Amino acid sequence: MPYLEMKGVTKRYSDDLLANDAIDFSVEKQEIHAVVGENGAGKSTLMKILYGLEQPDAGTINLDGARVVIHSPLDANRLGIGMVHQHFKLIPDFTVAENVALGAEPVRGGLFIDRSAAHARIGKVIESHGFAVDPTARVAELTVGQMQQVEIVKMLYRKAELLILDEPTSVLTEQEIRRLFDTLRSLRRNGKTCIIITHKLHEVKEISDRVTVMRKGRVVAVRDTAGVDKAELSRLMVGKSVLFQFEREKKACGSPVLQLEGVSLRRRASGRPLLDTVSLTVRSCEIVGVAGVSGNGLGELEDVVSGLRRIESGRILHNGEDISGLSTATLREKGLAYVPADRLHRGASLHSTVTENMIVSNHHGFLRAGFLAGARIQQFAERLTRSFSIDGAPQVPIGTLSGGNIQKVILARELASASNLLIVAEPTWGLDVASSQFVYEKILEMRSAGAGILLISSNLDEILGIADTIAVMYRGRIVAILPNAPDLSKERIGEYMLGLREDFARQTDAERGVRK
Amino acid sequence: MLTGFTGLALTLVFSFALVIALILLLSKTPGRTIWYFFAGAFTNAYYLGNMLNSAVPLVFTGLAIAVAFKSSVFNLGGEGQVYAGGLAATAVCLALPAANAYLGGFAAMAGAVVVSGILAGLSGFFKMKWNADEMISSFLLSSAIILVVNFFITGPLDDPNNNLLATLPIGKQYALTKIFPPSKLNVSAFFAIATAVLVSFFMARTHAGYEMRMCGLNREFSRYGGISVSKYFVLPMAMGGALNGLAGGLLVLGTYGASIKGFSAGMGWNGIAVALIARNSPLGVIPAALLFAYLEAGAKAAMLHSDVTFEIAAIAQSFIFYFVTAQSLYSLARRRKKP
Amino acid sequence: MSSNSPFAIPLIHNAVGIMTPFLLAAIGGLYTELAGMLNIALEGLILTGAFFSIVFAAATGSLLLGILLGILCSMALALLFGAITLYLRANVFITGLATNLFASGFTVVLAFQLFKTKGVIQFPDIPRLPVFSVPAALQRIPVIGDILFGHNIIVYATWLIVLVSAIVIYRTPFGLRLRGTGLSGETIVSLGLDPRRYQLAGILISGLTCGLAGAFLTMQLAAFVPEISSGRGWIALVAIYLGNKTPWGIVVASFVFGLAESFSNYAQGIVNVPADFILALPYLITVAAMIVYAIWRHYRASRT
Repeated sequence: MPYLEMKGVTKRYSDDLLANDAIDFSVEKQEIHAVVGENGAGKSTLMKILYGLEQPDAGTINLDGARVVIHSPLDANRLGIGMVHQHFKLIPDFTVAENVALGAEPVRGGLFIDRSAAHARIGKVIESHGFAVDPTARVAELTVGQMQQVEIVKMLYRKAELLILDEPTSVLTEQEIRRLFDTLRSLRRNGKTCIIITHKLHEVKEISDRVTVMRKGRVVAVRDTAGVDKAELSRLMVGKSVLFQFEREKKACGSPVLQLEGVSLRRRASGRPLLDTVSLTVRSCEIVGVAGVSGNGLGELEDVVSGLRRIESGRILHNGEDISGLSTATLREKGLAYVPADRLHRGASLHSTVTENMIVSNHHGFLRAGFLAGARIQQFAERLTRSFSIDGAPQVPIGTLSGGNIQKVILARELASASNLLIVAEPTWGLDVASSQFVYEKILEMRSAGAGILLISSNLDEILGIADTIAVMYRGRIVAILPNAPDLSKERIGEYMLGLREDFARQTDAERGVRK
Repeated sequence: MLTGFTGLALTLVFSFALVIALILLLSKTPGRTIWYFFAGAFTNAYYLGNMLNSAVPLVFTGLAIAVAFKSSVFNLGGEGQVYAGGLAATAVCLALPAANAYLGGFAAMAGAVVVSGILAGLSGFFKMKWNADEMISSFLLSSAIILVVNFFITGPLDDPNNNLLATLPIGKQYALTKIFPPSKLNVSAFFAIATAVLVSFFMARTHAGYEMRMCGLNREFSRYGGISVSKYFVLPMAMGGALNGLAGGLLVLGTYGASIKGFSAGMGWNGIAVALIARNSPLGVIPAALLFAYLEAGAKAAMLHSDVTFEIAAIAQSFIFYFVTAQSLYSLARRRKKP
Repeated sequence: MSSNSPFAIPLIHNAVGIMTPFLLAAIGGLYTELAGMLNIALEGLILTGAFFSIVFAAATGSLLLGILLGILCSMALALLFGAITLYLRANVFITGLATNLFASGFTVVLAFQLFKTKGVIQFPDIPRLPVFSVPAALQRIPVIGDILFGHNIIVYATWLIVLVSAIVIYRTPFGLRLRGTGLSGETIVSLGLDPRRYQLAGILISGLTCGLAGAFLTMQLAAFVPEISSGRGWIALVAIYLGNKTPWGIVVASFVFGLAESFSNYAQGIVNVPADFILALPYLITVAAMIVYAIWRHYRASRT
């Protein structure tokens, strides 16, 4: 009988978002069980339900044969379930001991925190797992790997028997990953059970006993790790279907519109860089698609190219001109069009009207003696609404429109600037088929008109559908730049995305000639 | 709790119901008291005119807060800015005892606007440059300024001819024309309406007004769209300061004819309530200010003709504060769940 | 005190007394601040405690009962403030303002109702606050004795409260969770705790200490003066900020304000610096400190 059994778990967030669709998930005692899937597959939601941070709409959870109900992390802790979050829930100003004991403090004399008891208990946990963490140290002074150890200690201190680790290696260096895996093996030896959420297939092969593959809210496969290879896992994760086929005439306009040369961006504390000497070129009449699993630098790439974040080294050129460090206002003047991944917070102002959203970057053009020319703005808005078939009146707040129409407004605005560089990130996330089709058509129109387009997306179907050139990012680096040919398969790109393969070896700074 | 106007109406109904309950508890002649509280302001020209007159500075301070809130900056220095503006206007008039009424008056207003505008703008500058909380800095500067103004009123500018803590009176030619004698209602009421219309137009139709509103609603989006977000920390604060300064100056020129110690107490805080009730709409500030003035006038009438005390108005106002903010956040939360 | 003692000693002695309401309000406000909430209702809570403690003391003839009931009233107001803010999700600044406004109006209305006056209400017959003067054994200690003794009981109670607070905040589970709530509400939630409980507790504690602060003001005078709190609640906030949100920092900051007021009392008529300017100093110092801190933080961040 499985140690943990989740049956028929369903969770719906909204009309568009069915995160978990009647999921059956089980874990054996004393095993390390990997849960893999792309972004949006529903893995995080399932684990949140298991840890009591979310409540399922339907389904049951059985632990050790008995039916359990988990309303909050306190319930989970009491049942012996612990969670190590991807984004650490630690208080930097507190010490390790304070962070670990918070909420479960040992008490002396009924009133005071028993510091020595806490230190003793925590020390025992630390020692028995060979962690190199000092309970009296402030968390702010620890390395990222040590912080994760504190999170693990926090759960073991609460007598967790089942540990959930959410993308635990995403912020670790190689060495720290080794240490983590040793810890997991030692935990297993000591009778603990671990669930590890990841998208890194070589890690799945290295550490797990069994693996559950999720896709689009469903469980698509459960396998013994020994009996499955990375290629098959990759296939199960990304699937085979290709939704869109577009006619793309070979165009060769040639002149570079956007160039990134050795662009780097570091995290504040130590740890691996967010962008690691990224070099990329986008030419006019070309769509360069950048693929990757989110968390590997796609978001940061978007931020630096659009001017919302400063790079630390390297250069960004637009039409041959160095634009690194310029303000967004200047960039837009120079002709930057940008459709952001974060549609709702960055791409739109939900409480403002459709019209107000449409004119944010070009309202200077509607001035007459310092006043906004209402009639001309109105005409502009109506024209865009018509030509983009936007289903919504220009004077309503944009937040009342559907996701697809909001995206149309954003597209309409950005494309109206007729610039020669367009940056689009996750353009069809959450959109239905018809809206997605529309978006792709518009992007291809821009391409025909001579624009260079940088398409950043974690959606492989999309990239394979319209990009001319495909670059893949993994852990902040470009690991492949490939022309989009008919024989290029999702599986092959998947391998690059999941770290199984890379074309560009890591160079040292000296080799790259980069000055810091 | 309901959204929009229904919510506002409910807030008022609850608040008024509580006031009535309070009157029933405290007054030996509740019927008479209630009558005077709710209808007293309308019983004669003096009360009515004074009620309208006391709404005038509230329009300005309400506008100051509305402008700031719409841009998502917090100007809490209203008290000091109004007070300092009034003193500045007084000082200019005293320095020009025999000047032409229009020129001198204009100079006095300009003085008030500049002094208070800079005072508030300073907080905006600190926020822009170094991300120093403008809410706290504007409040602290205002508190300090109040004491400084007190000093001038009771010290160097004090009128030795009477026992009031007040400055020398300004020249008679500066007094704004009364339009509804025997009350103190004067032409500043027209200025108030005109200013509200201007501010409304500014926010809705000008380049800067649009950018300010966008920054207030979503700074990230504004920055993304190419709006210079840092500019719009200073401008709304300075504008608010200028409006507050106008309130103070008009109080001096229109109603008091001098700076009396504490003459503007409460204007800044009430401006916040006025802006809240008006949902930060510049035109809505006018009825909101009238509502507040009505409450105070009612309390005054009740006090004069009955046995309760004027401070009942403060209690009523506090209820409105409580209810209005609870329900306004509720409606905002409801709107955000949509996309 | 001997008449030969330098003027500094009575100055400091008075400062210790004067700083008491600042310190009480600030230490209570510290709890809310540590829980991550802005509490500007201190002013109104002080006023409430001031009024009700003396009214109940006069009514019951017992000092202790009066103070306790006064504290209860200010805690009740704090409960209203906290519940509306936390559970109806209201803007904490506005509700704080509302609380101050309510206390202002309510105390005057009630005073008028009960005593038929809106001005100063004297209570000549209430028992006086016990004062501890220098015990004979310690007469020998020159300076400290003069400064530390001769204060009323509430002053000494305040020191005890500060001490207890330091212990509670840094050595009890409640204190740890309170600080955790202010530093990272997310973390608290992830542990299954409700941050609002700790924030409400902080508000109630501030109601307690502010009530006592108010009692101090009226009991000392044996009278209630309208708006007797006169800005002390705001200064307490400044003291919290200046004291870097630690109990001992607050003690120092409160002492500075107490000294400033004591000095201004002394200096009026003797020194030419206007009292208003001295009173304005704390605000200006805080703004300056704030700006300097912001500049320092800004340049530190840009250098990383």
